[in-house]
Amino acid sequence: MDLSEVAGSGSNVKDFSKKKRGNRYAKLKQSKLDARREQWLAQVKSKGSKVESENACEVSVDGRNKKGGLDVKNVEVKQRGAETNVLIHHHNVDWDLSPSNSPGSLGSLFANNSSGTNFSGCSGSSISSGGFCSGSISEEDEDNDGCLDDWEAVADALGVGDKSIEPSPEPPTCLQERSRDVPSEEISLGKGPRPENVKVPVNHGGCRAWKPDDAFRPQSLPNLSKQRSFPVKSDMHYDHRGCGSWVRSNLTSVPSSCPICYEDLDMTDTSFLPCFCGFRLCLFCHKRILEGDGRCPGCRKPYETYGLVEGKPNLNGGISSIGLARSFSMITKPRK
Amino acid sequence: MVDFARVQKELHECNKDVQVSGIKVSPVGGDLSHLTGSIPGPTGTPYEGGIFQIDIKLADGYPFDPPKMRFTTKVWHPNISSQSGAICLDILKDQWSPALTLKTALLSIQALLSSPEPGDPQDAVVAQQYLKDHQTFLGTARYWTEAFAKTCGVEEKVKKLVEMGFPESLVRSTLEAVGGDENLALEKLCSG
Repeated sequence: MDLSEVAGSGSNVKDFSKKKRGNRYAKLKQSKLDARREQWLAQVKSKGSKVESENACEVSVDGRNKKGGLDVKNVEVKQRGAETNVLIHHHNVDWDLSPSNSPGSLGSLFANNSSGTNFSGCSGSSISSGGFCSGSISEEDEDNDGCLDDWEAVADALGVGDKSIEPSPEPPTCLQERSRDVPSEEISLGKGPRPENVKVPVNHGGCRAWKPDDAFRPQSLPNLSKQRSFPVKSDMHYDHRGCGSWVRSNLTSVPSSCPICYEDLDMTDTSFLPCFCGFRLCLFCHKRILEGDGRCPGCRKPYETYGLVEGKPNLNGGISSIGLARSFSMITKPRK
Repeated sequence: MVDFARVQKELHECNKDVQVSGIKVSPVGGDLSHLTGSIPGPTGTPYEGGIFQIDIKLADGYPFDPPKMRFTTKVWHPNISSQSGAICLDILKDQWSPALTLKTALLSIQALLSSPEPGDPQDAVVAQQYLKDHQTFLGTARYWTEAFAKTCGVEEKVKKLVEMGFPESLVRSTLEAVGGDENLALEKLCSG
């Protein structure tokens, strides 16, 4: 029982736990991806009349941007490669896009785009960002990755081609325009790409519009993921200002790691508030608890009160009910 | 499967402020599912001045299942078995929450030392004494603390017993075997 032996066994334990953790991360990530996919699918179903399936953009979008929306999607998919996450992500975006588009911005942009500027590389996403300009803040959260740079690229193109369509095609103006509903600091925090889209810049390598962002993209990644909310439903129920303020309070109160497993909370976890007491934890641990006694670790009350939470008018309650509804669907569905 | 990543982090966190809390947790052997903790006896109680060792075994479900804790130092307390060291504390049973940690559990045990619950006893004899003859209870508890929980006195005991003519290694192992009680060790040494 000499010292070296003890040290040796200690490091063994460490290695072992590291390996375990690696596996765990992979598992966790996979289960979360599945979960997110489930959520979005569930969402599609819940939207019912508007969107029938993943390909339902054709069905859902109203006459004015029906073609546009569809094209956007196709171009996006082609450009950004066959990463399924991106694909799903943009499906999601399209749903949001369709109801909230103002005919002006999208129409004009689209017209402009097809009027002969040969920025084919960026055209798809520039259209979608046109949608976001008139959309709401959380949509921006959803897809800020490609927008900003593409905007700048398009702005450049516009500067050469036709200036009358956008009153001021300067990229900063665009940013300001978007940030009308939110403090600018949040925008700047939130403009990093989603983790899945890290590869996207490769496609836009030629656009100098990337430059100002490039330096900080990697750092801003976790920030974005932390403040991202589940935007779609909340958008439908609450005004953008309200949503913005929720995002802010979210920023201050969310712990950075799960108090149960001590792993970092990802964006799905941070927008997950399963109990009125405000105790947050990761979905993984939450699921584990539901398999057991189903009591909140923070207040020891059973989690089963979600039925009552649904549709509560107050803002935080409402948001939490969304988190609950989703989490619940995630927990019950993926049992295969 | 015990969440060893969490246990490791807990150990790190806990041992960072040993100076403040006085609560220590360390692994027994190379396996993180068996640990030992130590808490100082709270001041203003008959346990003051003692260091109490607690054996901690982590069940497979930890942190979703409570850790199994038991005093290895003998304690005279209504909610702690004077025989086995078993602890009667709700947070180690049905009131456990995964948000609690080894450190908070040990802190709760420390709090239990300063406020016994004779109405829900683990050791009926001690509880009876606590209720009916509080002075005797205090005396016994203090004596047990002196006899079993004062680790600093070990060297003195060893020295005394060695002076009586027993070999030092035997004295040490015997003292360890009887939980540090000098008289029991002497008895054992004499009989064996």
